[in-house]
Amino acid sequence: MTSRLTMAIPLTEKRSWMLLLMQCAISCVGLAALTSLAFWLRFPIATVGFIYLLVVVVAALNYGIWQATFISLVAVSCLNYFFIPPVFSFVVADNRDWIAIVSFQVCALIVSRLSSREQKIARDANYQRIQMKKLYELSRGILLFDLPSPPGPQLAQLIRRTFSVDDVAIFDAGLARLDHEGTWTADEQQIARQAFLTDRNEDDTDIRTAQRVVRVGSTAVAAIAIRGEVDPLIANAIASLAAIAFERSRSFEKEARAESAKQAEQLRGAVLDALAHAFKTPLTVICTASSGLQEMGTLDQTEVELADLINQEAVNLNQLCTRLLQTAKLEASTVTLRAEPVILSKLVKEVVTQLEPALKGHPVELSIQERDTPLQGDRELLMMILTQYLDNAAKYSAPEAPINVAVRESDSELLLSVCNRGPLIQMQDRERVFERFYRGADARERIAGTGVGLSIVKKAAEAHQGHVWVVSGEEEGTTFFLSMPKLKVGGNKPWNLE
Amino acid sequence: MESGVILVVDDEMSIRRALHTTLQKLGFKVVEAARGEEALSLVRTNPFDAVLLDINMPGMNGIDTCKNIRRLFSRIPILMLTVRDSEDDKVEALDAGADDYITKPFQLRELTARIRAAMRWTKAAAGPQEETASVLRVGDIELDPVRRTVKKASRSVHLTPKEFELTHQLMIYAGRPIPHSRLLNSVWGPEYGGELEYLRTFMHQLRRKLEDDPANPQYLLTDAHVGYRFVEKLDR
Repeated sequence: MTSRLTMAIPLTEKRSWMLLLMQCAISCVGLAALTSLAFWLRFPIATVGFIYLLVVVVAALNYGIWQATFISLVAVSCLNYFFIPPVFSFVVADNRDWIAIVSFQVCALIVSRLSSREQKIARDANYQRIQMKKLYELSRGILLFDLPSPPGPQLAQLIRRTFSVDDVAIFDAGLARLDHEGTWTADEQQIARQAFLTDRNEDDTDIRTAQRVVRVGSTAVAAIAIRGEVDPLIANAIASLAAIAFERSRSFEKEARAESAKQAEQLRGAVLDALAHAFKTPLTVICTASSGLQEMGTLDQTEVELADLINQEAVNLNQLCTRLLQTAKLEASTVTLRAEPVILSKLVKEVVTQLEPALKGHPVELSIQERDTPLQGDRELLMMILTQYLDNAAKYSAPEAPINVAVRESDSELLLSVCNRGPLIQMQDRERVFERFYRGADARERIAGTGVGLSIVKKAAEAHQGHVWVVSGEEEGTTFFLSMPKLKVGGNKPWNLE
Repeated sequence: MESGVILVVDDEMSIRRALHTTLQKLGFKVVEAARGEEALSLVRTNPFDAVLLDINMPGMNGIDTCKNIRRLFSRIPILMLTVRDSEDDKVEALDAGADDYITKPFQLRELTARIRAAMRWTKAAAGPQEETASVLRVGDIELDPVRRTVKKASRSVHLTPKEFELTHQLMIYAGRPIPHSRLLNSVWGPEYGGELEYLRTFMHQLRRKLEDDPANPQYLLTDAHVGYRFVEKLDR
């Protein structure tokens, strides 16, 4: 750990040699001054030894072990030359002095080593503290990001400012953008994109550049390239924090998108509602006026017919309006189902009886196989579905062609089908006939309609957790289906109260 | 030719104009009000034979206006005009004291029929309490509240006590929609109100006994989600 940290504070080769020489020179000057002082005042050898040791310790603490070793060698030489008899010579007369010299040297080396190590540990601790502080600042800065705007530029600026690095380039894969802070050229910035594409984390000490891929979970979402004094571990931590920034931004975006979709939906519903109501007022006036004309009984035959025409079309327009409003409500799911137990076979019979005159001579063949199990549904909506199916069947088949209505029951669901002998619905149209305003190519030309009816049917079925589809063939005709889940038995009340 | 003074309350000028012109031509005298507050002050000072009241109005809405008018005059016929074909609105209107409702856009023939009917109930209610004692007759159907008998085309029809009560309630207010809850209250008792299935079952039985074609009723009509209505006059 410590070795890695020191590696992260290298100095350029030239500068470090110069500094080393300078430090040695300063120590030598100090040593020389002390030597002259001690020589002039004729200090005893022991005192001189201690003073030298002090110099070595100071050098070790301030400069480092190599400087201290060098100074200790110089100090031993001085001790030998100036103080150990015979003076002004490197010859040692007394063998006991050798012991003094050797023990001084050993002591100086040990002390210098210890003190320089101590100092290095303190320096590393300080470095770590500073890096931790920076990482903390980075994480705090990330929390303060402006979430609606893209995270890349903010992150690049924040990393560069916090870690005082030369360049930061960030490639945001989600937004496919490259953001940069610093002096890199456009080409050099591509290193971030390269890192993302090759999916590789790298530390290049030659160009002092670290590359990190940013992952959210196991997915790579971005890559960062940093040029400057950054330890690999710190680069890893930066990448992790960047991942948090990207994730926050993404989830905010997702939330905002959901919120705006909801608002758009509400707005659409409100606009359609207002529009439908805005149509209803003039329609009321037209209806009142045209039906009023007829009531007065002062019109001749032609005028009666014309007034009737106006009235009829106003009524048609009103129906279209009501249907549009109904789909808008069903789509916005603001419609509340008035759910009650409904017996489908009874409902079918009811609707068929009601509709008989409107079916213009199409005989309806009923085939009901049902054990009268009720389903939970909205009578009005169910009747509307059935009415729409029957209307369509009559509209799209040859005059007087029969319409087959069948109700089947399985353990879990009820199936209603309405079959006519009408023309084939093309394969590509079968899904789309249930879309609003969509009409099959053949139908557009031959039969009047608005393309709203079946879209309401689909919405109404979905509101019941039901499903609608159509099957069509040249031979067997066209059959529209509705399947609905059955009501759990036991939910209905006893009916006779008397 | 119709007669009577009608107050038309609607915030839409064009609707007031259309109603004014047509109803006047048919013989009614028409007074207009654009707001609920205005209607209320007009009702205080002038006698009206009927009020046509729009539900959706700025300021005091139709429902509140209706309640306020009812507080002053219990007898004046009130018809609500609603643009939303919403059952809640209709039930709310009837609960607020309206006699009937009609959904915009409407046919003038239907509107005048409803106005006439509403004016008739009011006149009937103004007389001595004879409607409860006298024999009620609509089309082929005849109900004698004293003897508790019902005849269809002069042939006696057997009804259970509850069925009789239900028919009686509906026939007293023939032509007028009676909300489900009011029917349940008056026939079964005040603790009932939400049991639509009872009503539906009874109406089904009644139709089988009184209608020529129960699937296609002539007398006992359904007002979807609102209630039931006994036809006022049979169009034949």
